[in-house]
Amino acid sequence: MIEIRGLGKSFPGRRGNPGVKALEGVNLTVRDDEFLTVLGPSGCGKTTLLRCLAGLVSWDEGEILLDRRPVTGPGPERAMVFQSIALMPWASVLRNVTFGLELRGVNGSDCRSRAQELIELVGLSGFESSMPFELSGGMQQRVGLARALAVEPAVLLMDEPFGALDEQTRRLLQEELLQIWETRRTTVVFITHSMDEAVLLGDRVVLMSARPGKIEDVVEVPMPRPRSAHIDTVEGSAEFREITSQLWVRLREWQVDIGRRGRAAAAGSR
Amino acid sequence: MSTGTAVSARVARRHPRPPWVGFYGVTGSWPTAVALGIGIGFWEVVGRVAEFRFFPPFSEVLGRLFEMIGNGEIIPPLTGSLTNLAIGFGISVVFGITIGLLMGAYRRVEAALDIYVYALLTAPSLVFAPIMFSIFGLGPEPIIGVIVIYTIFIIIINTTSAVQTVPRGLIEMGRSYCASDWEIFRRIIIPAALPMIMAGLRLAGARAVEGMINGELFIAAVGLGAVISRAGARFDATTVLAVLVLTLSIAFLVVRIIKSIDTRVTSWLPETQRGLR
Amino acid sequence: MSSAASPQPIAMGNGRPRAGRSLVARILDSKAFLRLLTLAVIAAIWQVYAVMVGGLLIPTFDGTVFAFVELLLDGKFWRAVWVSNQAMLIGFAITVILGIPIGLFMGRYRPAEAFTDVYINILLVTPMAALIPLIIMAIGFGLNARVLLVILFAIPMVIVNSRAGVRQVDPTLIEMAQSFGATERSIWWRILLPGSMPAVMTGIRIGLSRSLTAMVVIELLLIAVGLGGLIINFRGAFQPESLYAVVIFVVFEALLLIMVARWLERRLVPWGREGVLATD
Repeated sequence: MIEIRGLGKSFPGRRGNPGVKALEGVNLTVRDDEFLTVLGPSGCGKTTLLRCLAGLVSWDEGEILLDRRPVTGPGPERAMVFQSIALMPWASVLRNVTFGLELRGVNGSDCRSRAQELIELVGLSGFESSMPFELSGGMQQRVGLARALAVEPAVLLMDEPFGALDEQTRRLLQEELLQIWETRRTTVVFITHSMDEAVLLGDRVVLMSARPGKIEDVVEVPMPRPRSAHIDTVEGSAEFREITSQLWVRLREWQVDIGRRGRAAAAGSR
Repeated sequence: MSTGTAVSARVARRHPRPPWVGFYGVTGSWPTAVALGIGIGFWEVVGRVAEFRFFPPFSEVLGRLFEMIGNGEIIPPLTGSLTNLAIGFGISVVFGITIGLLMGAYRRVEAALDIYVYALLTAPSLVFAPIMFSIFGLGPEPIIGVIVIYTIFIIIINTTSAVQTVPRGLIEMGRSYCASDWEIFRRIIIPAALPMIMAGLRLAGARAVEGMINGELFIAAVGLGAVISRAGARFDATTVLAVLVLTLSIAFLVVRIIKSIDTRVTSWLPETQRGLR
Repeated sequence: MSSAASPQPIAMGNGRPRAGRSLVARILDSKAFLRLLTLAVIAAIWQVYAVMVGGLLIPTFDGTVFAFVELLLDGKFWRAVWVSNQAMLIGFAITVILGIPIGLFMGRYRPAEAFTDVYINILLVTPMAALIPLIIMAIGFGLNARVLLVILFAIPMVIVNSRAGVRQVDPTLIEMAQSFGATERSIWWRILLPGSMPAVMTGIRIGLSRSLTAMVVIELLLIAVGLGGLIINFRGAFQPESLYAVVIFVVFEALLLIMVARWLERRLVPWGREGVLATD
């Protein structure tokens, strides 16, 4: 279980630009084995939040507890899947997948067999010795996923993993991700700016707004699982449409709000 | 950025290099062979007809070169020069890459050293030859010193840049898997930086030969440069040009060798990016 | 840090400075201090070596500094500077006037490039200094010889960069102009020249640097006038302080010229930062 209490982080300004309050007063609890999606516009701090969870950046206020222990840096129980995919271009698919395992001192043949398993799981059997540049974007991201799963993390952190891919590939990967997750449950925190994706994949959707980044709401997605077999029907269902329209309404409210606040500030400063 | 790559890729396709051996293998394409042929022909004709003392015909120059090789008089200076080259370039590579890696990885090191590296890079390197002479006196040492001055700063700057342009996403990925500083260096930074480091070594290779000759011309004691210097003092243009042709061959050879190491080491780069570096 | 157990990321030297460190810490970490520190370390090693080991031609650090100041106040020195730079400036001017058109031409007309490519490569790799005896034999010891060497050193760089500048102009722009009925002359004037400006300026900057190199090289190797001549003379007279001082002056001049060239580059082509060797 992950507990985030009162998290705050600012980025200092440079050369006369005022700093940015990326996160303010963020409180969140992530339950074990739940699929949590975090939704929000660009600049709302969702990626910063994920990187704090991963232990890649420090924060200014508040705390993050993982199973009641404070987070102080990256750790073996968390693994990340990156938007930029971040495969090592000079290493084969197999070497890329074994990367995390090698760092944790797992010995050679164990490494390879574990990696083999996962390469099969993500549907890339036969591509073990291919190089990243020989693969399409979707295939590369599957390697990224295999690499993260190889270390058997308790928490899987996914930073808009399908953001760089085309529509069709994205839908295929969403389906596959759900299939994999439904067989190997872990806690997942999934960042996205796509409302459909957030509702399709998640058990709960965390809504964030920007400037300063904070959590506006957490919405339950009570749609039944498994969803992987038929994501198109899921997306067509009445429940889905109801939830997404609720989110739209909220989103529009906040945009109006932000606009009003902005105009007031401009008026006040004149 | 994409325009540049697209144009370069198109350019690369327009100049296919057929794997011909022999003369064509060296030159690589027929316009080059023809151009060289015309140039050599021109050299020969003008040399004979005009009879300038400073412009002997090509055949004479070539003849002198073979003569020097045949009677062995060129061998000691040649081995001397090549030894200096190897030692000087070797020192530059080892220390240059090390300093470059440190400067690239640690902001403090870069801040401390960058203006000095830049200053020594932009200054005419030969101006340090008198300094080398003042420290080492006559002999091969000052020449090695000059070669180091000629090459080390390019290597440092290219290596620093190579480290700094490693995609941050890859480094972060490594950190997210709890890799230590050293592991990130070894597994991510060094492989990722290798192509650009090799590009720096290629640039340095040509400069190394220039440094070797210039250093030897100044010290004028040993090596091919000394031969040129003495021949020049006698106004023996044939010998000067003969040794120059030899030097050019060495320069081409050095760059070729480095290029082949480059392709072997960076075999993972996709085709479109090779040959552009 | 007011948070509970916030992680300290591996900065690898690239961490952002954290506000709230003491003033002393920030000064110690600043660029200026680090650079001065390097200078101090170099000066210390130099001084120790000079005093302990020494040698007829090894000056002390302080001796060199004094000699440097003395030089700057000496009229003879500045005359030497002028003699040297005369050759460089004339040679550089000719290089630019000849080299840029040649390079542009080569870039635009592919047959020209295919045939001359091998010679450019040869020029780039030839140690021009080795040609000095031949130059002397052909045109003697005067200003002309020095100017010619400057041109030989600098022109390959200018040509190569100008050629690259033309080649990297987006062909789509040329096609676009042709679709609007532009003549060859218009294409040059409106598209190719502005488009290749950044690379041409890079070539000029590198060419300037090579001109300075040539100026020094020929004076050190054969025609002992100007600054090179001073160095040779100081060596012969066993005045190492002054010798080192002249060397330092040359380094400063090189830096100054490059800064001027870069400033000019920024003013004239604010939109372009591409060099020949950009690996983008």
